[in-house]
Order: sequence, then structure tokens, then C-alpha cells
Amino acid sequence: MLEGVPVLSLIILLPLVGSLITFSLGRRENLAKWIALAFALAAFILSLVVVYEFVVDPYSAPSGEIESYSNGYQFYESHVWVETLGINYTVGMDGISLPLFVLTTLLCLLSIVFSWNTTKRPKEYFGLMLVLEVGVLGVFVSLDYFMFYVFWEIVLIPMYFMIGVWGGPNKDYAAIKFFIYTHVASLAMLIAIMAMYFEAGIETFSMVAIAEESVAFSRNMQFVIFAAMLFGFGVKLPMVPFHTWLPDAHVEAPTAGSVLLAGLLLKMGGYGLIRVAIPSLPTGAEDMMIVMAVIAVVSILYGAVLCLAQTDLKKMVAYSSISHMGFVLLGFATLGELGIVAGVFQMFAHGLVTAVLFMMCGVVQHKCGTRSIPHLGGLAKKMPIAATLLTVGFLASLGLPGLVSFAAEFMVFAAMFFKWGMWVFVPIGAVAITAGYYLWALQRSIFGPLTDRIDTSHVKDVDWYEGVPVAILIVLIAIFGVFPALVFDRIWPAVDFAMRAFGGG
Amino acid sequence: MIPIEYWLVFSSLLFCIGAYGVLTKRNAIVVLMCIEIMLNSANINLVMFSSYHSVLHIDAMDTDPSGQAFALFSIAIAAAEVAVGLAILLSVYRQYKTIEVDKINILRW
Amino acid sequence: MLEYAWLIPVFPFAAFLLISLLPKRTLSWEDGAGYAVGGAAAALILSVLVIWEVMSGSTMVGDGPKFEWLVIGDISFTFGIWIDQLTAVMLLVVSVVGTLIVVYSAGYMHGEGEKRRRYYAEIMLFISVMYGLVISDNYLQMFIFWELVGLCSYLLIGFWYEKPSAASAAKRAFIVTRVGDIMLMAGIIILFKYVGSLDFVTLFDQETAAAVPTDMMVLATALIFGGAIGKSAQFPLHEWLPDAMEGPTTVSALIHAATMVKAGVYLTARSYPLLVQAPESLLFVAVIGGVTALIAATVALVATDIKRVLAYSTISQLGYMTLALGAGGYLVLYADTGGGYSAAVLHLMNHAFFKALLFLCAGSVIHAVGTNDMRLMGGLGKKMRITSMTMLVGALAIAGIPPLSGFWSKDEVLAAVYHAGEFNAVFFLLWFMGIATVFMTAFYMFRLWFMTFAGEPRSDYHAHESPKIMTFPLMILAALAAVSGFALFISDGFKYFIEGSIGGLVHEVHHESATDILGVIFGDPLTYLSLVLAVGGMFLAYKMYYLPGFDRSVFARGISGRLQVALENRWYISKFYDDFALRVVYAVSLVADAFDRYVIDGIVNGFAHLGGRSGNVMRTVQTGNVQRYAGLVVIGLCLLLIFMLYIAPWGGW
Repeated sequence: MLEGVPVLSLIILLPLVGSLITFSLGRRENLAKWIALAFALAAFILSLVVVYEFVVDPYSAPSGEIESYSNGYQFYESHVWVETLGINYTVGMDGISLPLFVLTTLLCLLSIVFSWNTTKRPKEYFGLMLVLEVGVLGVFVSLDYFMFYVFWEIVLIPMYFMIGVWGGPNKDYAAIKFFIYTHVASLAMLIAIMAMYFEAGIETFSMVAIAEESVAFSRNMQFVIFAAMLFGFGVKLPMVPFHTWLPDAHVEAPTAGSVLLAGLLLKMGGYGLIRVAIPSLPTGAEDMMIVMAVIAVVSILYGAVLCLAQTDLKKMVAYSSISHMGFVLLGFATLGELGIVAGVFQMFAHGLVTAVLFMMCGVVQHKCGTRSIPHLGGLAKKMPIAATLLTVGFLASLGLPGLVSFAAEFMVFAAMFFKWGMWVFVPIGAVAITAGYYLWALQRSIFGPLTDRIDTSHVKDVDWYEGVPVAILIVLIAIFGVFPALVFDRIWPAVDFAMRAFGGG
Repeated sequence: MIPIEYWLVFSSLLFCIGAYGVLTKRNAIVVLMCIEIMLNSANINLVMFSSYHSVLHIDAMDTDPSGQAFALFSIAIAAAEVAVGLAILLSVYRQYKTIEVDKINILRW
Repeated sequence: MLEYAWLIPVFPFAAFLLISLLPKRTLSWEDGAGYAVGGAAAALILSVLVIWEVMSGSTMVGDGPKFEWLVIGDISFTFGIWIDQLTAVMLLVVSVVGTLIVVYSAGYMHGEGEKRRRYYAEIMLFISVMYGLVISDNYLQMFIFWELVGLCSYLLIGFWYEKPSAASAAKRAFIVTRVGDIMLMAGIIILFKYVGSLDFVTLFDQETAAAVPTDMMVLATALIFGGAIGKSAQFPLHEWLPDAMEGPTTVSALIHAATMVKAGVYLTARSYPLLVQAPESLLFVAVIGGVTALIAATVALVATDIKRVLAYSTISQLGYMTLALGAGGYLVLYADTGGGYSAAVLHLMNHAFFKALLFLCAGSVIHAVGTNDMRLMGGLGKKMRITSMTMLVGALAIAGIPPLSGFWSKDEVLAAVYHAGEFNAVFFLLWFMGIATVFMTAFYMFRLWFMTFAGEPRSDYHAHESPKIMTFPLMILAALAAVSGFALFISDGFKYFIEGSIGGLVHEVHHESATDILGVIFGDPLTYLSLVLAVGGMFLAYKMYYLPGFDRSVFARGISGRLQVALENRWYISKFYDDFALRVVYAVSLVADAFDRYVIDGIVNGFAHLGGRSGNVMRTVQTGNVQRYAGLVVIGLCLLLIFMLYIAPWGGW
């Protein structure tokens, strides 16, 4: 059905075209959201077609000899861009990209719906969202370091403006901090990429070709490059102690910005690690394994403990992201297939769950005018639907079985026990702390008697454009919680392939 | 033929006078004039070296007029530059009612 | 028939979906009670069919239908169903008690209006996942449902969420049981590493289980029992259960007395083939059980909230069950008999009936009086004849008066523990704790009964008997509580029946006729000892709380007074947890937050300030004076010239 159609490029182009149209609307600002919606919807539907194609016709990883890494990619496209430097426009998709790719089109679509009543400069707002989508999509399918870096940097700019223009009271500080912090990390990544390019010396930026050379780099070289990459991707992830940009950015960002930031941008860090760093630099990864594991465990526990102290609902959710992304890093740190698969799944799961949480924080903010937990209370009475959605979101985030995060967390712990035995008892305690801060927040904000610290007479329940995206996400959370195999069956062959191809497994 | 050192000392003096003027005079018009003096000192050098080149290689019939041409270019460009400079001064004067260069110091931090 | 057992949870789940998704006007009777009763009844009918099949000798252990849940490389997780004798007992408990309580709810929750819909939806979800837990055929599936019953418990304890105490109790219950759940998860992961599968059929095979090193087996089984400590409210994680009484009484009866809290006992019983390989864990189980039984009973002596008395009583009885399981493991190991195991399971069933009955009676009383405080009750016996009589049956049953159900199972439990003492002297101590608990149980139950139903009203209320829809389940449960003990005598004896579920462990077959069993029980002097203690407890309660003129203040002085204060404060365990949460965990988080803000973020901002400061210094060079710039250019040029002409050649370049 898609024979010969450059479908990935098409999906990446759609939001770009959409954003150009949106920017050039002139005075007809009200059209902006419709155009953004149309293009995001088109991209989403196309990505569903991609899923269909991918599922009915999955590549079968050759069981014996692995001839070329590029065998593993579907919808593969490659065009020469700058021949003298070996820069190609190369995109392709495997089971690791697929869930994140679809997550991207989905979350962008839902964020646009969620922002339906944005009145402040809607043209720019929706246009930037589409630009962001372009960047993230590009990152998830690029197979060329140069393109990867370009898309990676494209993502920063719209997010910077979203925080800086539509943000809260302290937006300037947060936006600058976000930009500079992640940009410094990008530079570390750029240095690592350059080092790989020159060390490989094959005059191409192709990830696949470089990876085939880089596995044979000297141990020291791999160690240094991997360390730079770990910093580059780890800041995005984020990992302790390079995480402080995240709470500030989230607290100030508009709701949709937070959704995309936590749901997608954080995943870029994890994706970079598993797509680039770990398979390309197996001995480097091995040398850094303990470092990664320690950072991951610290992130999990530290993030969870910090959540307990937060009084801002959104900031709490932001810190919980640090804790949950720690699971991703922990899974990767085991360098075993089980852990990596679980880590990738956790990224997908966290994308869905955290989107719900940030949207619900947004709802609380919009309806009650504050997110401060001590000022809230008894909201379940005033806004029962919102309370239900928030509760389900929290439960999903604390890893309740039947919802999506559980499978990932369980596998990560299992993988860690396989690798390090009794050390698993250190991060496992975070599960209880997680339950603690979420339920405590629920108790204080939506249960109990209705608060009199804010004026609740005008508090309404969720509007349709807020409720529908959250409901869709919750349905997905339940579906993938009950049938995680739907995603795992896609991820595992890809991880298996990557790990076997480069001896990292 | 006048020895080359004479020319060099002359143009250096001219240049230093111009530079002194640029650095010390407060009136922007005077500064502009001083810049012209510095430019012309360079022109003198160009013409001078060009003619010396021709004299030194007279046997080989190797005359090179490019120095002279450069000087002409330079004069033409200086004329244009003066036009632009005066225009800027005019608009600066309209804005600030002064053309004293140490008063016009908003171009900082 | 057994292969359709997976349908049992489907019916209540369908009811849950219908109640929560249908438009309100189609819910009709009691906002969804009709669907709830229908779903529960359908599951009951199916369960009875399954139980019938099991009674007639067929089981399905490891050969049932399977569903592949997750495959990652060579690791695979399948879900399936596991029906054996133990499952049948649990099914009986869940289906009968569940259905009766849903019927009772139609009366009890009548006044709740809009909220009933949420109530019925949540309770049907609970019943569904509880069935799912019971019929699981592997630890992962069990763990999933294990957490889900915890979720339902959370939601239902917090049913009246606008009450701060209810919201707080719900949170506590979830977090405390989560601590247990974590231990269970860790135990599962350990088993998974060494065996590579979580299916019971693989794990319970003695040969494959031999792949687990001995010390790991001890750890794994102890951790799995850790799950039971949380869920079955064993010491030291038992304090959530009394708090959980903030929920509606029906919820307390169903979840916190009859079914969910039994899940821990069920899990321990289910894990027997693993537990018996680790005698250290068995001893741990028994000690926890004995301590729990005693401690909870002591607190029940002074509690004044009618539901809290029952809650502590539940904890204490659950302690009996775990004690019997621990002792039973020793019997299986050294005496080749399933005596303790069967006693625990029988007590599990009997307790489910009489404790559900007691809770529902208490609910009926609360419904009539409008308070939980027994000090404000009294004299209700005349006005609520059915409630008081059925509650009396329950109280006699739990006190262990023959021929009611509690007598048979409690006697078996104590006999098993005493028997285990032959193999490890610790069990004599535990037996002593158990027998002391018998006395206290009889005392606090009759204290409750006398305070509630006897004498004169101590506050102003107009009590009346509850509607039929509430008293009808009471009467059925009272009948069950009276006779369920006779399960001991079914065909070849309950022990023979239930030993079927630990088939490979006990090699000697115990066919016992009713006369054999009776002969053993009444030929044992210890039986009479516990009977005497039980009657003594009842008599003391009668003297203290029924006969007028007893001066109770004698207990408020001296050591007994201090003891009483300690008991009224629940041995300060609850307070300890509160302090731990607030003063330690929360304080640590505040410190961490400050650390994050001022140290980590401080370093980040410090770098930013460093850039800003240095720029601040540098910018003073930019005066805006063109002539100064030009001067600098000239100076720079001169310096460059000097460098090029003199310094560079001098340096040798």
C-alpha cells in the first residue's frame, strides 16, 4: 500500500507545511487552530498507516548472519544532501522508533486540541507546536548524525518560545535556563558526533556506517565519546544532577508545552542513548554501566523524595518525571535486552501517562486559578470528572498493574536483579514513596472538604477540549496496560537486532 | 628623483597628524576631515610605490600602474564615504543637536 | 466446566462497566444495584458449579487454557487459571459473601443518593479482581490482581472522601499495603531469576524449584510472605486495617474482613510448596502470626468503636491463620500431615462467614443508631431482635463455642500449633499466645455484644430493625457461621479434601470419618482448656459489662492503668508510623528539596552568574566613545607592530 511512497518524509513535512501556513495567516488568527489541527491529524493518520504497515509486514530479523544494520529499518529513504561531507538525508524506522514516533504524532494532536481556547497569539502558538512536531519526528527517524543533530536543535527553538512567550510569571528565567542548559548538552553531543565522524574516518555521517566502525574504536576512545554522549542525552533525560532545568521549565511552560516537553522531549534523551550511544559504543557503555546505574538509582529515589516536598502540583509531576525517567536509564544501564526493552517501553508509557498528568494539572490551573496543593482541597465535589481523570493518571503513574507503567517497572526491576542481585532493593523502595506522594497529593487536593482558601464558586468541571484528549490517553493507557505485548512485540526484535549486531548484548 | 625615505616620512607624518586629529578632535566634521588626511597619506604611499616599481624595473619594461589605479579607486571610495559620513552626521545632528563625538556615546553595553 | 472458570470474574467486571458507563436513568433500582446483584449472582452460580466439580474430584492445575501476555525473547509470561481445592474454598467465600453483601448494600447504602453508582461500580470491580486473584495460575497474574484489589480497597475506604479522616485512611491503607506489595514483587523477581518462570505448575515442581539456592529460597519465601504481611494486616504492618474502618461497613465486611485481607493468607497457603523448602521462613510466618494474634486481641479489649473492635478481631484471627500455616509447614515437613494447613484454610472460610456476619450486624446497628461509638449504644437487643440474635451467633462462633463454626477451626489451629511444638519449642510459646488470645477473643466479643445490645440506651436515638433486604443476608450468614465448621466432616474429612491442593507434599493419605475426628478433638484435654478459657472470657465480659455495679475504674490505676493507656493508643504503633512519615521521610524530603534548590540549582545558577559577572566586568571597556575605541585600535596596532618586528624575531620565530 505504501510501496514507493516516502511516507516518513511526508509525515515530517506535513506539520512543517502546516506551520508555514499557520504563520502566514495574517489577521485570520482564528483559523490557526483549525489548520494546525488538520495537519496534525493528517500526520497522525498517516502515522497510523505506518503502524499498520509495520505490524502486518514486520521485518524478520535474520536469525543467523547479520549482514547490514540497515536491513533492520523499514520505510527507509536516503538522499544525498552535501556530498563532499558525506551528509545524507536518511530516515528509517524500526521497533524502537515506532512507538515513540506514533506517540509524537498523537501527543501533538492532543496538545493542539487541549489548547483549543488559546487566545494569546494563536498563530504563533500553533505554528510553533507544529515546528516542534517536525523536530521531534525527525529525531526519532533520522539515521544520519547530521540530520539527527539538526532536528535535535530544531526542537529547542519552538520550546524556548513556548515557555518564553506563553509561560508563567518567571518565564524568562525558565526559558533561558532551558535553552542554555540543553544547548550545552547538545554541544557535548555534537562533540561526540564529530569525534565519531573523524575517528571513523569514512567520510559519512550515516549512523549505520559509523556504528559499524565505532564498535572497533579503542576502549579509551569509546569511553570518552560515550561519556560525552551520556552527558548530552542525560541532560535531556534528565538525570540527576543535571535535572534542575526541568522543574523550572515545567512550572513556567503552558500546559501543552509541558505535555510536549515531558512527553516527547525527555524521550529524545533516552532514544539517543539506545539508538546511538549504546549500540555504537559497546565497550564504552560497559565501562560506564555502573555510573549509569548509580545515576539512575539516584534519579529514581531523589526524584521521588523531592516530589514529597513539593506544594505545586505541576512541579511535583515534573519531579516525578525525573524519577520515572530514571527507570529508563536504569533499564538501559543493565545493557541486557530485557532491561533495554523495558526502558524503551517505559519511555512510551511515561509519554502517555505524564501527558495525562500535565493536562490535568493544566485543568486544575485553568479552573481553580492555582496549582498550589495547600490551597486546593475537596475538588472531587466540584469537578468529579476531573478528579476521576486525575486519580487514574496518578494511579497509572505510580505503576498500578493493568495500567501501562507497571509492565515497564516490573521488567526494569527484574533486569536489575538479574544483573546486580540484591542492589534492586535500593530503587524498589521508590515504589512506596511514589505511592506516598501521589496519594498524599490526591488527599490534599481533591479529597477532603471543599477548600475555602480559594474562591470555588466559579469552578467548573473539565471542558470538552480538555476532557477528550485526557480520556483518549487514559483509554490507551488501559489498553497498553492490559496488552503491553502490543508494544513489546515491536520493541523487542529491534533491540535484539541492535544488540546482536554490535555485540553489546 | 626624490629618495623614497622622504616620501615615507612625509606620508607617515600625514598619517600621524590625521590619527591625532581623529583621536583628539571633538567635532565630528573635523574628525571626518582627519580621516581624509589619513586616507590620502595611504594614497601617497600607493602612488609612490607604484612609480618606484616602474623606475626600478625600467630595463625590463615592467611597468605596473596598479598602485596608481588603486589610488584612484581609493579617492573615489573616499568621496563616497564622505557622502555617507556627512549624511550620518546630519542625521545624528538632527537627533541629538550636537556632533561632538564624546557626547554621542550611546553605543555601549 | 473448569475451563470456563475464567468467566467468573468476567460477569462482575461486565457489571462494573455497565454501572460506570451506562447513562444514569438506565441504572434504575438503587442506581445500579440491580446490575451489581446480577453480576455477583452470575459469578456465584458459576463458582458453585466450579466448586461442585472440585468436590467431585476434578481439578485444573497447570493444564487449563492459557493466554500469552508478554513474550520478550525467551522470557514469556502467560496467564491462565488454576482451580484446586484451595481455590474452591476461596471461590466459595468470595462468591457467597460477595453476593450477600451486594444484596445487603441495597438497603445499607439507600441513603447515599448519587454516590451509589460509584459505590456499586467500585464494589463490582473489587469482586471481579478478587476472583481474578483467586483463580490466577502464576505469581505475576496474582500480583497484578493483588495490586488491583488494593486499589479497590483504596477507593472504597475513601468512599466518603470529603471526610478528611477517610481520605487519610485510604491513603494509609494503600501505602502500607504497598510496602508489602513491594516485598512480594521482590520475592517474585527472585524466583523468576532462578526458575525462569512464574507459573505455579513450574515453581511447585520440586525439581525445578531446586534451581533456587537455599538462602535465596528463604529470602524469596519470606518476601512473598511480606506481601501477606501487608495485605493481611499482620504485625508490624497491621495498623492500616483499623483505620480502613472509615469506609462503609459493607466494604469493611467484604474487603476488610472476608475477602481481600484473606488474600495474604491465601497467598501464603498457595506458596506452600515453596515455603516448606524453607523452614526458616515457616518459623517467621508462624511467629508473625502468633504475635499478630496476641497484639491485635489486646487492643480489641479496650477499643470503643464497634467497627474497630471487629477490625482488631479480624487482625487477630488472621494472625491465627498465618500461625497455623507456619506451624502446618512444620507438620508437613516433619510429621507428614497437612493438619495445620487444613486448619488454616478451614479457619479462613469460617472466619469469612462469621466476621462478615459480625460486620454486617455492626452495620445494621450503625444504620439504626448513627454512631460507631459503643459507649453511646446499649439496649438495642429489644429493638433489633434479628440483628442482636444473628450477632450473638457470630460472637459465639468467633469465641469458639461448640458446635458453631469457630470452635472447630480454632481448635484445629491450636492443636496444630501444639503439635508443631514437638519439632521446634518456639511453637509452645506461640501456642501459649494463641490460647491467651482465645480468652481475650471471647471477652472482647461479648464486651461488644453486651455494650451494644444489653442494658439501657446510653444516648438518645430511635433505633429500629433494619429493612428485610439487610436482615435477610444476616440470617443466611448466621446460618453459615453456625454450620460451616461441619465442613470438617465432609466425606473423607476436610483435611483429606484440602490436602489435595498440596498433593505432592504429604505422602500419607488421611481418610478420616466424622467419629475419628470427633474422637481426636474431644479426646484431647487441650480442647477443654480452650473451651474453659473461652467461657471464662465470656463470663468476665458478662460480669463487667452486663451486671450492674462493677467498678471498672480499678483497671485505670497503676500498671494496668498504664497498660490501658498504651492499649488505647494502639501500642503507639500507629503513632510511630505517623512520626516516621512526618518527622523522618517528610523531613528528608524537605532537606532534599532545599539541597536541590540551593546546592544543585545553586551551582547551575552560579555558573550563570559567573558568566554574568565576567560580562559585567568586561562591559566597562565599552564606553561608547568612538575616539577611545580608535585610540585602542592604534595602541593595539602599535603593540602588534612591536611584537612582529622585535619580540617575534627575538623569540626565534
